[in-house]
Amino acid sequence: MEKQVIQSVGFRNITENGKITGFQFRIRLPYYRGIFLSQIMPGTLYVDGETFTKDQISWCLNGEEYSNEQMSTDFKTHWNPLTCMVLKVRKEGGLKQGYHDLKYGFCFTSSYMPPILQDSLDPDKESFVFMPEFGHHVNERRLLIV
Amino acid sequence: MYVYERKGPKRGVALYSYSGEFGLTKNLEECFEDIRDMGAHGIEILANTHIENYPYPTDAWVENWFRLLDKYELIPVEYGHWIDSHVIRGRELTTEESIEMLCRDLRLAHRLGFTVMRTKMPVINHKLEPVENWREIIKGALPLAEQLGLVMCPEIHTPSNLKDDMVKDYVAFIEEMGTKNFGLNIDFSVFRNKFGENERRNPEFVPNEPEDITPLLPYIYCCHAKFIHMSDDFEETTIPYPEIVKILQREGWDGYLLSEYEGADKYDDGYEVGQTLRKQHIMLKNLIGD
Repeated sequence: MEKQVIQSVGFRNITENGKITGFQFRIRLPYYRGIFLSQIMPGTLYVDGETFTKDQISWCLNGEEYSNEQMSTDFKTHWNPLTCMVLKVRKEGGLKQGYHDLKYGFCFTSSYMPPILQDSLDPDKESFVFMPEFGHHVNERRLLIV
Repeated sequence: MYVYERKGPKRGVALYSYSGEFGLTKNLEECFEDIRDMGAHGIEILANTHIENYPYPTDAWVENWFRLLDKYELIPVEYGHWIDSHVIRGRELTTEESIEMLCRDLRLAHRLGFTVMRTKMPVINHKLEPVENWREIIKGALPLAEQLGLVMCPEIHTPSNLKDDMVKDYVAFIEEMGTKNFGLNIDFSVFRNKFGENERRNPEFVPNEPEDITPLLPYIYCCHAKFIHMSDDFEETTIPYPEIVKILQREGWDGYLLSEYEGADKYDDGYEVGQTLRKQHIMLKNLIGD
């Protein structure tokens, strides 16, 4: 596993029934403890400036796929920091060969932090004070599609 | 299982300290060996971090867990976990749901051989006060904790003070229930009495005197041996360790001091927390005399 949140391994187009229907990439949890899916606050993905909203992205953990809506109430499925999450994005034809600039925001809640701090969390913006413990909300990486 | 028979304050390490390295440059076994190098025998884990497939590890994982403990002569002392009542946005878990979550952790802690739990309560404000129904949640889990021989301990951590109402409430609850299955974990950050000029300091924080711990000792099952700055001649320059350890020895307190390094620099590239921990363990070994 790489230190960067967006991993270099796992970035490729998705082929279904011989057709390219989208692309996927992998992220690690930049937090010192695992979380339940309902704690995740997914944000916006930008690929070369093109916007993908949280409802266009599904999260896959240990082979199971979850929509943003499913995750928001699932407090039984746990994401361990040693396991990467695969994010799948629907896009007819996928991404073309060459470099792509990925920028993705997500964050998560913590029961042991005062609720007032939790209410102001925004996955697409950094926290007012950066705490390495919680990682950056927005992460970027430039990666190749073959 | 390995047995460590020493009485009094004993040395241990909270694996939380390895947060910047675990999963990236160190696996569980490498953390264990690092702790073995220090001659410490106690460990604290964070359930959600260090247990693969938490909360339902495989039998093979558990078997390997005990093999590693034996190999590195380690005692599973404290199981760090959270009562995540705020796990869903928009509503708090019901008391029953929180009890169910807590009982799941009690069973797993027992399965892994732990005897003490650092039970993190969901907080409701900046003073880190717990949710209003904490008594009901704990009461609901006490029979199982008793059956499994576990003690649930909220942690008292800066900016809280050992004389706060919150601590009085916990002690009153223990007395009222007459229970040995609920206690306290004291984080030594409450004793921090020195701050650098440019360091952020919570204005509400009032440091405790070392003696403030004495009346609480009967309720304390574990301490977080927090350290902020170890000098190159192995002294903690911000927390009065010699006085604290002396009090623990004088009072005949028996338990583990679990080193917990919270410094943000542990996330820096190339940082080796093991070396920082070793500095503290040189100090602790000399103070304890083990």
